[in-house]
Amino acid sequence: MELFLQTLIYGLLIGGLYAVIGIGMTLIMGVLGIINLAHGQIMMVGMYLAWVFWTFMGIDPYLSLFLAVPLVFLLGIFLSKYFLQPLIEKESILPENQVLMTVGIGMVLVELARFIFTSDYKSVETSYSSETIALGNISISLPMLIAFVIAIALTLGLFQLLMKTDLGRSIRATAQDKDAATLMGISSKKITILTYGIGSGLVGAAGILLLPMYYLYPDVGPIFTIKAFVITILGGLGSPIGAIAGGIVLGVAETFGATYISMGYRDAVGLVIFLLVLVFLPGGLKQVLKI
Amino acid sequence: MKIKKLLTILVVVLMMVGINSCGKKETGPIKIGVLLPLTGHMANFGTMEKNSYEMAKDKINANGGINGRKLEFVYEDDTGKPDVGRAGAEKLINVNKVPMIAGGYSSSVTFAAAAVAQQYRVPFLVNTGSVDKITQPEAFNLTTNDGAKFYIYRMNPPVSEYASGLEGLLSQIVKPKSVFIIHENTAFGTKGAKSFAKTAKKLGIEVKGNHQYSAGTVDFKPLLLNAKKANPDMVYMISYVMDAAMLMKQARQIEFTTPKLFVGAGAGFTMPAFKENAGKASEDVVSATLWHQSLPIKGAKEYFDKYVEKFGKDHTPDYHGAEAYSAAQVVADVLKRCNGKYTPETIKKALDATNMMTVFGPVKFTSYGKKIHQNKMNTYVVQWINGNLKLIWPEDLANAKFVYPIDWAANWK
Repeated sequence: MELFLQTLIYGLLIGGLYAVIGIGMTLIMGVLGIINLAHGQIMMVGMYLAWVFWTFMGIDPYLSLFLAVPLVFLLGIFLSKYFLQPLIEKESILPENQVLMTVGIGMVLVELARFIFTSDYKSVETSYSSETIALGNISISLPMLIAFVIAIALTLGLFQLLMKTDLGRSIRATAQDKDAATLMGISSKKITILTYGIGSGLVGAAGILLLPMYYLYPDVGPIFTIKAFVITILGGLGSPIGAIAGGIVLGVAETFGATYISMGYRDAVGLVIFLLVLVFLPGGLKQVLKI
Repeated sequence: MKIKKLLTILVVVLMMVGINSCGKKETGPIKIGVLLPLTGHMANFGTMEKNSYEMAKDKINANGGINGRKLEFVYEDDTGKPDVGRAGAEKLINVNKVPMIAGGYSSSVTFAAAAVAQQYRVPFLVNTGSVDKITQPEAFNLTTNDGAKFYIYRMNPPVSEYASGLEGLLSQIVKPKSVFIIHENTAFGTKGAKSFAKTAKKLGIEVKGNHQYSAGTVDFKPLLLNAKKANPDMVYMISYVMDAAMLMKQARQIEFTTPKLFVGAGAGFTMPAFKENAGKASEDVVSATLWHQSLPIKGAKEYFDKYVEKFGKDHTPDYHGAEAYSAAQVVADVLKRCNGKYTPETIKKALDATNMMTVFGPVKFTSYGKKIHQNKMNTYVVQWINGNLKLIWPEDLANAKFVYPIDWAANWK
């Protein structure tokens, strides 16, 4: 029972983080209609920024969220404005080419990181990195708990933005029907660029939350690009609530698989769920949640 | 008309350059291919090995090169993936036309590349890839009598022998009754775990669990909780560097203090990045190793000091670097014995006759068991004591007294 509870809690905690990683991709998927294959690499940029702030200025990773995330947001704006937007504007270019462009962007980011920081592994060792909180017989790692709380806060914030503000309504409108939104006076170009920025900022934040408990090297991204992709499909393309549910389902399923089947099949568990969803629930969890 | 004239001149110039470069070839550098993971999640190891190859090359060339010609290494990045490694080996052989390949880090990649080298009949000097089958001709549809047709040579011992140095420490000092094995789900990890389970059986140690994981895992706690529940006397881990650091960090987090020993099977556990990233949790962790700078080998200490001088205090080389450096020494020695003809066949003949001393120890390719062209070596045991990697076993070679018994709770406070 204790092992079961502990597994469940770990699954939920890691699931919260997965949700933030997935939401960014799902937003971009909804509005731009492409899978952003540079997602994990953008996360890597966020992590390096936080690492630089920590190593050279002594700024706590959680505080550097306020510094690094806006920078990653600007990076996202820059990338979409000068690299993705020109491809969208040319009608003759297929959307596949934008996906290829994100692959290229990802490669350039990784090699730039390798050029600047070399292939060495970096990690951020804060005073609380290895702290644990005992809850009865269950010990929870503090950075993981903080990451979960901030992840929830970020998600709620995003919801406020999407549901209550003009910008959010414009994003949702563009995601639903680009042409209709344009007819209603929404600049779909502006929204597309902004959405890529927001998606980048979110995954950057997820990376920074991960940093105190994980490690960093130029090739850290691809694993998380795949995770985000699985979550996006699990949740139903373009649905933020679906992505949250997808992230948590993936986190819990992986952790249970790791505890009760085998750690070696951890990723396999996630991918089996991915296949099952594709076959039996092609619309993703969004179909069940009706959102 | 003018354009035509210009073009003619251009063609003539190009032809002259071409002829020139052909003429130069006899005195130009001798190019040898090196296959290493320079990007991807094993880049940390690949970089250390490349640095060592370059150091050795500079020294060889400063001392007159290969019979007057310069030695040059052509690097190909295998990114730690077998398919990329295969393509890399093919490129080295077909495009760069190298008469010999060295390198080979990960077991899976090395095995894939070895198949290519074998197919093209180009000698492949493996310096790290350790899964046993790499030097077993039967894996390539040959027999142990087919030495003349087998182009793979290996400097480092196979993974099944990594823990042999550890046996003495276990049977004489620690005497554990049970072990829990944690390993990466790769060729290196799985075979290493299998052979350690055999060793454990021989020493009368009960194997309480044999669990695998995939590289790059964020959360090892489910696995470690299972291990904690099994309450073993010792935990044996086969991991690359950052997984190793994560395992020890999270063992500390869940207060897994009951084992007498945490033992790593080389690979990640001897790297400076392990200590840097695991911090306190790395203290007193024991690991098998193939080399240590304090061993009484000529040039070992000198190599270590030179490396640290060149790449900084935070980049101390472990056995991986020594393997690469000595592979370069073997390459130079072999080429010098080729009598000026650098073809795969002459190089293979010279490799067969190799019998020399390197910073990694003596190198001689012998056959035993199912293996041929395999260099036989001893293995050792190291321990992280006060943040330094010390050689602790065998006792007569040790440069520090081992710390045992270990109070993990006090270490991790």
